[in-house]
Amino acid sequence: MKILSVAAAVAALTISVSVHAADKPELRIGSVVAMTGPASALGLPEKNALELLQEQLAKDTSLPFTVKFITYDDGSDPTKAVNNVRKLITEDRAHVVICCTTTPTSMAILETVTQAKVPNISLALGQSVIEPVQERHWIFKTPSTDQLQVTGLVNDMVKRGIKKVAFLGLEDSFGEGGWIAMQSVAKAKGVEIVASERFSRTDTNFTPQALKVRQSNPGAVYIHAIPPSAALVHQALKRVGYTGPIYHSGGSANNAFIAIGKQDVEGALLGTTPVLVYKDLPDSNPLKPVIAKFAALYEKRFNVPKVDIFPGQSWDAGNITLKAAEEVVKAGVKLDDLDASRAALRDKIEGVKNFVGVGGIFNYSPTDHLGLDHRSTFISVVKNGEFRLYESK
Amino acid sequence: MTDTVLFLLVDGLTNGLVYALLALSLVLVFTVTRVVNIAQGEYVMLGALTLADLLQGRMPGTLYLLIGGLALCAILDVGRWRRDWRQASLYTGGLIVAGIIALALTRGALALHLPVIGMMVVALILVAPLGALIYRFTVHPIPNATTIVFVIISVGVSMSVQGLGLLIWGANPYPVDPIAAGGVMMGPVFIRYQSFAILVTALLAMGGLYVFSEFTLVGKALQASAMNRLGAQFCGIPVNATGALAFLLAAAFSAVSGMLLAPLITANYEMGFMVGLKGFVGGAMGGLIDYPLSLVGVMIVGGLESTSAYVASAYRDVLVFSLLIPILLWRNTRSRVEAR
Repeated sequence: MKILSVAAAVAALTISVSVHAADKPELRIGSVVAMTGPASALGLPEKNALELLQEQLAKDTSLPFTVKFITYDDGSDPTKAVNNVRKLITEDRAHVVICCTTTPTSMAILETVTQAKVPNISLALGQSVIEPVQERHWIFKTPSTDQLQVTGLVNDMVKRGIKKVAFLGLEDSFGEGGWIAMQSVAKAKGVEIVASERFSRTDTNFTPQALKVRQSNPGAVYIHAIPPSAALVHQALKRVGYTGPIYHSGGSANNAFIAIGKQDVEGALLGTTPVLVYKDLPDSNPLKPVIAKFAALYEKRFNVPKVDIFPGQSWDAGNITLKAAEEVVKAGVKLDDLDASRAALRDKIEGVKNFVGVGGIFNYSPTDHLGLDHRSTFISVVKNGEFRLYESK
Repeated sequence: MTDTVLFLLVDGLTNGLVYALLALSLVLVFTVTRVVNIAQGEYVMLGALTLADLLQGRMPGTLYLLIGGLALCAILDVGRWRRDWRQASLYTGGLIVAGIIALALTRGALALHLPVIGMMVVALILVAPLGALIYRFTVHPIPNATTIVFVIISVGVSMSVQGLGLLIWGANPYPVDPIAAGGVMMGPVFIRYQSFAILVTALLAMGGLYVFSEFTLVGKALQASAMNRLGAQFCGIPVNATGALAFLLAAAFSAVSGMLLAPLITANYEMGFMVGLKGFVGGAMGGLIDYPLSLVGVMIVGGLESTSAYVASAYRDVLVFSLLIPILLWRNTRSRVEAR
């Protein structure tokens, strides 16, 4: 069955269905996501959300333009991503590019989109994709960052009166991102980092690092990893008798974490986007209805029990593009004039204010291409094998 | 402090035993066929993922690999039909029967919901023949190639098998049930029952191999081709068959090690390669020909890994793989002394 589904994904390499309507200009949204390869667990839901958006638009005739989606697969490979983005820009004449799923692929295409002067919305976690902003004039992103999530978690530690924290992270670029974020946040909040231990995804034993952490006697532990190692490190800490609070990055906020950690990860605290915990939010929160609507659509269309964080990222990217394009057309710029409309689109994306998406409330500005703040960052706690909203004391 | 040392010791020993099964496979393959099998770790992955599939009630993806491999075997044999159709039809018939048996066995096991140990046996029967198939495709056609050619081929096999693993199972980790859940407190140290299972299985496997190669005719044939390939051939031992047998047994040992390891670290497509390399470092201690010295080697690797992860976690793999240099220097001086 799995072979079949992979084959289907490969066959669906190119999805281009245009929404026809008479006498309206055409907006072309090109996207490159990882439908195959190691990051396909993230890329496939992202592709699904774009497909869903396309189907929704087919029913909607209120827009002053028609929308054409062109989606390619990069196989989680930076070289392929660059080639496909080039193809989107020159052959498919896309107005906006949504790319890519991972930080390495998103970094690889920076040069290409900047030179061609095409606005790009990345779906990667890494902050380096959009910073420094003056060099990333054409790049925006929708997922939250390590910095934002770590800040939320460290704030909670400070509230609890914890002065010392131990860091445990993967030794790849993902873990390094967490380490950099932790160092700067801890310094700013006056929390001391008493241990910093590393491990890799393919390690067979995590107890030595857990022992070292226990010995440093921290008030809290922060783990920056993805399952399985995130859950295995958590188990190792329990095994050596560590009883304090254990915080995790958003990388652990998925079902695999609970499936592997089982009862050992009860009480784990995770930095997360609102998608994971929207049901627990108060009704007054503007995010709740937006996420609930998207979740209902997505879960019904793709027959999944619970939507995770990835489809929302490309859904937001698509909707931000549509909002900017509406403004562009209203301002009188012709979409047929490719260079002018690409530049106008970029300016309008940067001008997006208080846009309530699935991943949070976006406020882009010339100095901020992430657009998210503390209102979009939540802490969730594992309770009876489920992610619930954590009410900080 | 004492409990820290005990923890490190127990974990080092557990991991050492897992690597020991790998080193055993590597030595077995190298002595009989002169292949330094970099791909040995991939059977760890195949064993673990097959077990994960069986335990969760899915048709294991390994079955596709096995049936595909058997089909390829039949295709490669197509030239024989002209010369000797009786033999060829017998051979092809045998392959088809093997495929049907594998399918029936898997279906039966899934229908019966066997306990973990039963599923391990089924997974073993599915994975071990893959070793012989890979021998048929990569070593059998070029029996007289140099060692370096075989090393390069095995790197290719490793990459292909890992790619197939990613295609079949995806990048997700699969949790695997242990043989016995839970553990026991020994003094200050919590030891999982799975660690004991690893100890017992590793000892049984080593003992089994010893008895097999000392007291059975087939085992003696295996030993003979390990000592002198040409001489064995002159004595009428089918060295190609012994090569395939060595690959099969090695795949079995590695798959068992994967199935024992999976409950501790979950099963995923990239778990095998590192375990294989660490087994290789241990095996290098015995020059890939000496079983007892290889065992000493893997225990040193397990212990060093666990202490270095404690002392300087960012450098633990650097330290383990740096161990190769003093080992090779030591082997070198030793072989010079022997030569004199």
